[in-house]
Amino acid sequence: MKNKAYLGVDVGSISTNLVVIGSRHEVLFETYARVGGNPIASVQEALLGAKTALGEDVEIAGVCATGSGRHLAGAVVGADVVKNEITAHARAAIHLHPDVQTIFEIGGQDSKVTLVRNGVVVDFAMNLVCAAGTGSFLDSQALRLGITVPVLSERAILSAAPTRISGRCTVFAESDMIHKQQAGHRQEDILMGLCQAMVRNFLSNVCAGKELCGPIVFQGGVSANLGIRRAFKEILKIEPLIPRHHMVMGAYGAALIAARAEIRQTRFRGYEVCRRPIATQGFVCPDCPNLCEIIEVIDDGKRISRSGGRCRKWEADTCAPQG
Amino acid sequence: MPSLAIEPWGNYSLALGASVECLGVTPWTRTCTTPEILQLGVEAAPEFSCISFKAATGHFIKAAMEGVEYGVMVNSQGTCRLRYYRMLQQKLLKERGFNLFIFGLGYDGFKPPLIRHFDPSLSDFLRCCFRARLKTLTIDDLEVAAWTRRAVEVNPGDTTRVMKDCLKELDQARTLPQIRAFRRAIPERFHHIPVDPGRRPLKIGLVGEATVLRDRCINHDLEETLGGLGVEVRNFFLLGVEMGNIFHIGFWGKYSRSAMRRLARPYLATPVGGHAMDSVAHTILCAQEGYDGVIHVAPAGCMPEVSIRPILRRVSQDLGIPVYECSFDEHTSHVGMVTRLEAFVDVLYERRTKRGVRSAPCDPERT
Repeated sequence: MKNKAYLGVDVGSISTNLVVIGSRHEVLFETYARVGGNPIASVQEALLGAKTALGEDVEIAGVCATGSGRHLAGAVVGADVVKNEITAHARAAIHLHPDVQTIFEIGGQDSKVTLVRNGVVVDFAMNLVCAAGTGSFLDSQALRLGITVPVLSERAILSAAPTRISGRCTVFAESDMIHKQQAGHRQEDILMGLCQAMVRNFLSNVCAGKELCGPIVFQGGVSANLGIRRAFKEILKIEPLIPRHHMVMGAYGAALIAARAEIRQTRFRGYEVCRRPIATQGFVCPDCPNLCEIIEVIDDGKRISRSGGRCRKWEADTCAPQG
Repeated sequence: MPSLAIEPWGNYSLALGASVECLGVTPWTRTCTTPEILQLGVEAAPEFSCISFKAATGHFIKAAMEGVEYGVMVNSQGTCRLRYYRMLQQKLLKERGFNLFIFGLGYDGFKPPLIRHFDPSLSDFLRCCFRARLKTLTIDDLEVAAWTRRAVEVNPGDTTRVMKDCLKELDQARTLPQIRAFRRAIPERFHHIPVDPGRRPLKIGLVGEATVLRDRCINHDLEETLGGLGVEVRNFFLLGVEMGNIFHIGFWGKYSRSAMRRLARPYLATPVGGHAMDSVAHTILCAQEGYDGVIHVAPAGCMPEVSIRPILRRVSQDLGIPVYECSFDEHTSHVGMVTRLEAFVDVLYERRTKRGVRSAPCDPERT
C-alpha cells in the first residue's frame, strides 16, 4: 500500500511554494520558486519537481491551496480545501512552535502580524494599501544596486553604524538611500539602515496597537534576510524564532490543513496536470453595472473553473470549495 | 415632470424614491453605487474626501448627465463633515457645468426647503410618507430575513436571488394594502429557500458608518461574502429603526437612540458625530447578546468612526468580543478584503471550537 501524503500549494505574489507532508506531518518535499508572471506554469513546474522527487510510492490524499493565487492554483491542481494565507501561516507556525504568541510574516507584497494565545489565533492584521516594507521593495533595491537579495542580506549585517533611512514610503526611502549614498555612506550601513526602516515601518503600521509578546516566530520570504532579522532583534529586544521551513510556511500550513480536513476522496487531478495545456481567458460580465471580470480556467478545451464574479452566478457550476 | 436624484441608501433607495413622488417629481435612484458612478465621483472629488462623499457626488454627476434637475442629500446637524457635503457637491457640479440643484434635508424654518419648493398638498404628502415608511419597514424585514437565511442556504446565491425578486416586486407595489400583503408574505418566500438545518452559523454584527454599511459596492458585498462563509450577520443600520430615532418615535426599543446612549455611556459620554456613539453601543450590545464577533466598517479617514476605534479595542478587551476594523476607500482591493474576512471568520470558528461548541459543517477543516 502506498503511503498517504498531503499537498499544500501556496501561490503568492513573488513565489510559488509547494510542500508535501506525510501522515505524521513530516515534510517529504518542499520547493520555493519565483512565480515570474506565470502562476499556472510555476505550479506545474513545482508539481513536476514533487513528482520527480517522490516518485510513485506516495499517494496524494488531500490538497489545499493558499496564497493570493489560491483559487487559480486550486483549480489547476484540484484542491479539496481553499484556505486564506493568514490561517495557513498561523497553522504552520503553531504546529512547529506550539508556545508561539506572535507571528510575523513578511512576504512579497504582504506583511502580517498574527497574535496567538494558548495555541489559538486571537487577532491578526495585514498591511492595507501600501506594500512599503515588504519583499518586493528589497527586490527592487537589490536590483538598483546591481546585487542579489542574498548578497544584500549578507552585506547588511556587516554594518557597524547603520544610517537612518525614512521608511514611511518606499519612494522616499529610495531617495533617502540615494542621498546617503551620494553623501558617501558605506553601502552596508545604508542597507542595514534600510532593514531597520522596514522593520520600524512594519511595527508602527501593521503592528500598531497590538500586544507583541514572545516567543515571536518570523516567517515568509523576507525572513531569510539576515539584516531584517537583526533589525527585529535590535528593536524588539527579543530574538525572533526562524522556523525550519520558514520560506514555505504557507504551503506547509496548507498541507497541514489538508491533512486535518478528513478528506474521503481527494479532488487532486494527478501529476498529469504538469503536462496539460492549461490556459485562462477572461471576459466582462455584462449583466449588471458591477461589470465583474470573470476568469475561466480551460484545460485542453474543457472549462474547469470560473471565478471573479460577485454574485456567484458564474461560479455556481464549477465552484471550488470555499472557506 | 422634473426628476429628483436621491443619494444612495442601499435597498432603502426604493423607499426613499417612493417618498418623494408626492412632490410631483420622478425619483432617480440606484440601490448601490456602481464602479462607473464611483469613478465619476473620484474624478470630481478632492482626493482626501471620504468614499461616501465620492460615491454620493458620483451619483449626482451621473444624474445630472442624464438630465435630472434636482437632488436631495442628507445633512447632519451634528459634528461630522457630512454637514458641508451638500454645499461642496453643489460647487463641484457647478464647476462641471451641470445644473442640478441639491436640497438638504435639514430644517431652516417650519418646513424643510425641499417641501417648501414643491409644496405638495397635505394629503398627498401624508400618503407618501406612510407609503415610504411602510416600504422602509418592509425592507427592514427583507434584510433581516436575508441575513439569517443566507448563512444556512444550501445553494449559494439563492437568498440573494429571492431578495432581488422581492425588491423588484416591492418597487412595483403602489398602494398601502399591496405593500402590507407583500410584507406578510416575506417569511413564506424566504422559507422556500432550501437550507441545511444542521449548520450552526457564526453570528457577526456589522457596525459603523451608515453609507459603508448600506452600499454593497462600497463595502464589497460584505453581507453576501460573509453569508457565503456561513456567517449570520446583523447589519446595525436599518433605516426603519433609524427613522424611529430621527423622528423620536419608538424611543423605548432595544435599538433606540436613548438605549444606545445608556449602553455607550461607560465608554463614551458625548456623541462625537456620525454614528460613532451607536457603533460603540452596538458593539457592547453584540457582546451582551452573545455574538461571535463584530466587524466595524468605516470610510478611510472618517473622523467620528476613526476616533472611536481605540474605544472599540477597549470594549473588545473588557467584554471579550473580537472586533475587526475595516476601512474602505476606492483603492480597497476586493481580493484583499475577502482574504481578511475569511481569516477573521477562521479566528471566530476556532474560538468557538475551543469553547466546545460544535462548529458549522460547511467548514471541512474543523469538524
